[in-house]
Amino acid sequence: MTAQEFLQTVQNGQSVFLDLRAPHAYSQSHPAGAYNFPFHRQNWGGAVKQALQGQTPPIGIFVDNSVVAAAAQESLVAAGLTVAFAFDKGLKAWQAENLPVEQVKDLTVDELRQNLDQYVVIDVREPYELRSGIIPGAVAIPMGQLQNRLNELDKSKAYAIVCASGNRSASVSSFMSQQGFDVSNVVGGMSLWIGSRHPVERP
Amino acid sequence: MIFIPMWDGSLGCSSYLVGDSAGGKALVVDPLQNLGADSYILSAAEQGLEIVAVVETHVHADHHSAARELAEKLGIHVSLSHKAPAAFAFNPLHDGDVIDLGYVSAQLWETPGHTPDSISLLIADTTRSQEPWAVLTGDSLFVGDVGRPDLADPTVDAVKAAARDQFQSVQRLMNLEDTTEIYPAHYGASACGGLFLNHKPMSTIGFERKWNRFVQLTDPEEFTNQLLALLKPPPEGAAAIRSENLGQDA
Ligand SMILES: [Fe+2]
Repeated sequence: MTAQEFLQTVQNGQSVFLDLRAPHAYSQSHPAGAYNFPFHRQNWGGAVKQALQGQTPPIGIFVDNSVVAAAAQESLVAAGLTVAFAFDKGLKAWQAENLPVEQVKDLTVDELRQNLDQYVVIDVREPYELRSGIIPGAVAIPMGQLQNRLNELDKSKAYAIVCASGNRSASVSSFMSQQGFDVSNVVGGMSLWIGSRHPVERP
Repeated sequence: MIFIPMWDGSLGCSSYLVGDSAGGKALVVDPLQNLGADSYILSAAEQGLEIVAVVETHVHADHHSAARELAEKLGIHVSLSHKAPAAFAFNPLHDGDVIDLGYVSAQLWETPGHTPDSISLLIADTTRSQEPWAVLTGDSLFVGDVGRPDLADPTVDAVKAAARDQFQSVQRLMNLEDTTEIYPAHYGASACGGLFLNHKPMSTIGFERKWNRFVQLTDPEEFTNQLLALLKPPPEGAAAIRSENLGQDA
């Protein structure tokens, strides 16, 4: 199946497309329609199967090297899933073939500190995690609630998404960008913000 | 910082995956054929790391390196000391060079002795401190011991010159703070060390300063004599393994 043909099946809701790369790589740029499901060696295929909640659609995988692609395919097959499409040459090759991507901007903690007035900061950590302090002015919306609270947000504003380490915020950022928001992911999250001795507020 | 030692106890070899958890860039040091090139790629993927450099602390004579295979799979060149007499194209490193991984960096010191192309990597995590937190010493400084000087060139004069270089290199490493951690390329039964090579795979500069018998020798002649007196038999097939790792295989 060609990439174009496969993407058509994704658009029709017949297939699922997984980007196996790390969240920070995914959050910068990824194939259109792909979900982030970083590869690991602990029954990764089983975790995919569980996330599919009983459905068994054909699966496409996207990654930037053949070793991980082979291990992932093996793991999916072992879990009883079908691999319909695999691309293991990374994003540059994907774009060189004029295949569609979705993008999110990256923001370092130092850039955010300097331009804090230009962003609405959303902290997507769980309430108990906020005891370490939040970025001054940040709005706390736990990751799990965000989907239902999108109506509280404004597409004319620039959002900076932060979590503890930058992983959850990467998924949230790409989701919001798919929904048409202007969004940046804060790389390294609160551990780096606090580690760089930038100011925090106690909620 | 993500810091993952990857050990092969059968030969007493250590390799390392070191990366910046924020930006996701990583380097691999001394990858081992016994663990397989793929294990480094999969470990890195699992940690969310992209390997941007594969470094050898020296051309090994005791075990087969996976550096070239790993670098090939990643589409990059192996990084080696500019002094390495390798027969393949590599990225030459010089004293003071810094491999920048974002918030984590590796600064290179040439620490010849075990081989002329031996290097050490000073690892810093600037989210904690500018000061090196750990040093990957290769076969320059071991836990309880130092690397043997006779594997690159076993002729008498060459071994003596190498031992004197090793003395200087060990003294230079002792300029680091006591709190700096030491992660060498070998431990335990490895044939690259001598009689006092410990089975513990890591130590600190401070502990070795206090308790490593070679570090305490202040006279280069005495250092050389002791080093030669305590040699173990060379690793099996050393010359052949070294030339294969140099890319000289027929
Ligand atoms: Fe060695």
